[in-house]
Amino acid sequence: MATLASAPTEPIHMRIWDIYIRLFHWLLVGLLAFSWWSGRQHEMEWHRLSGYAILTLLIFRLYWGFFGGRTARFSQFVRGPRAAIAYLRSLRQRPYKAAAGHNPVGGWSVLLMLSTLTAMVTAGLFAVDVDGIESGPLADYVSFDQGRAAAELHGLLLNLVLALVGLHLFAILFYRLGLRHDLIGPMIHGRRAKGAGETADHLGASPWKALVGLLFAATCTYAIAQGFRL
Amino acid sequence: MTISPATRISKLALLTLSLAAVGPLMAAPAAAPSPQAAIAARQAGFKKMGAAMKALNDQLKTDAPAKAALASAAQTLTMTARAQPALFPAGSGPAAGVRTDALPDIWTQRTVFDGQMARMIAETGKLVNVVNSGDVDAIRVQAKATGATCGACHRQFRADN
Repeated sequence: MATLASAPTEPIHMRIWDIYIRLFHWLLVGLLAFSWWSGRQHEMEWHRLSGYAILTLLIFRLYWGFFGGRTARFSQFVRGPRAAIAYLRSLRQRPYKAAAGHNPVGGWSVLLMLSTLTAMVTAGLFAVDVDGIESGPLADYVSFDQGRAAAELHGLLLNLVLALVGLHLFAILFYRLGLRHDLIGPMIHGRRAKGAGETADHLGASPWKALVGLLFAATCTYAIAQGFRL
Repeated sequence: MTISPATRISKLALLTLSLAAVGPLMAAPAAAPSPQAAIAARQAGFKKMGAAMKALNDQLKTDAPAKAALASAAQTLTMTARAQPALFPAGSGPAAGVRTDALPDIWTQRTVFDGQMARMIAETGKLVNVVNSGDVDAIRVQAKATGATCGACHRQFRADN
């Protein structure tokens, strides 16, 4: 009993994702699915609202990339191609040594997904349906033909988003089966097992900064949804 | 009175008939309203209507819609609508060999389709009257009703893509 209880061992877990990043991630998953469904069903009132929610999330994520927890910051995970190649080479070594946040390749994947989604939402803001009846909140700033082009682009980008989601799921499966490393659990509870030599530092995600970011994102989205007619 | 697009089309049809009669003597009858030409004409018409509908809705989004813009959009809608029914001759469906979203049901359920077309003409005509009345709330309601007619017919008779 004494031997079990006494040793002041180091923590065996470390936090890698702050709560705001996790909320962002799972809300985005749900809203993307809902946007897809509502778009398919021509439920355009819901589709617009869902798009506004996604826009709020994207603006928040951009803000959080500068003011968020350590692993959320662009400065922490945006790396050059040399780092990405070195990381890919390191995948052959066993056991797999996980990065403390996004790895250099995952960082690029994050940037690619964020920019594709931003482009898709932006196209949706200007999109007009073929009947000239349903439209994004900024469609009256463009002509019918330009609005139709925006709608086409919106549809084309959906394919890219679906491809990126597929790649994302494939990567998760590869880490699980190929590298025996779970990515889903940490995205739910925020922790993963601490490797040898790693320190369990705080992520430094401030609730106040998160609130400011949320208000900022919501205000921007509101202005856009009103077509800047405030 | 000006010649309405609908009469122009039937005149074209007459011309084609006479051309067809002397067809063997002539070079390619360029004026023939072939299924392909009908498809191109109706697509151009619907596109015009889409642009007019957008112009109308853009105005209705604002607090003080411009009356002239509303009137011109409604006029385009009703004039173009009247020309559309004649642009669906037999053989101008997907089998025509050019890109069209027109579903074969248009020709197998012709009376239903014609009913929808008559509705479109009636609703756009009403829209012109309501726009002339100047009651913005009533215009919003009628714009929605007109749009609903477009949507109802499209769900039934146009490929969704």
